[in-house]
Amino acid sequence: MDPLTSALKVSASGLQAESTRLRVVSENIANARSTGDVPGADPYRRKTISFAAEVDRASGASLVEIERQGTDDSDFNIEFDPGNPAADEKGMVKLPNVNILVEMADMREANRAYEANLQTIKQSRDLISQTIDLLRASQ
Amino acid sequence: MQPIQLFELASRQAQWLTVRQNVVAGNIANASTPHYKAKDVKPFESVLQDSGFQMAATNKAHFTDSFAASQVAEVGMVDGVQIQQSGNTVAIEQEMMKTGEIKRDYELSAGLVKAFHRMMLMTVRK
Repeated sequence: MDPLTSALKVSASGLQAESTRLRVVSENIANARSTGDVPGADPYRRKTISFAAEVDRASGASLVEIERQGTDDSDFNIEFDPGNPAADEKGMVKLPNVNILVEMADMREANRAYEANLQTIKQSRDLISQTIDLLRASQ
Repeated sequence: MQPIQLFELASRQAQWLTVRQNVVAGNIANASTPHYKAKDVKPFESVLQDSGFQMAATNKAHFTDSFAASQVAEVGMVDGVQIQQSGNTVAIEQEMMKTGEIKRDYELSAGLVKAFHRMMLMTVRK
């Protein structure tokens, strides 16, 4: 496979990885206040995602793939809210271990990486069309 | 008469540039991969000076290095680039600069080929 086509493939794998990361971030933000529904139940646990480089055998290019999706095992936030259905006998409610600020920062970073990959795709496409243009202009 | 070597040179440079674009795309895609080391290709001068001697593959089972694989090398620490806590050494700004550089060089070499081709046609035509 010629290097430009495989560059497109590599960038596409980057887009896919970053969009999955954005999906995980939005799941976390959407569930930032999801508690359990019985007293003392565990709430939503924050999800994490990690990437790994994968070498494409045909071209030797390094694609990116999702290594694993895990959960964040840090402690839940505890709040006093006796009216909540998930409150235990002391009136304490466990809230998800999601920090909105961290999620927003992660979202911005994923966004930037996505843009960078898009830019690379445009660039590779330009190079391909320039090569094809070599055939054209000379009459 | 001297043989015309410009086309060969231009195609070699185009090949080198596309391999480099591929490597840069890999770096950008892996900008958030833990422990990923940024890669780059050897400079074009070293490709030019390369004598082209390679181990001959006389059997299907022999490994051969593709042009792309033989040119890629991990880059060491670049000045001013911090290794992140995740062990990743990709600096996205530098990679973007590299793609810009690749694009300019490619435009130049494609333009040269076009111009040279036009000149050749001019001599051949009546």
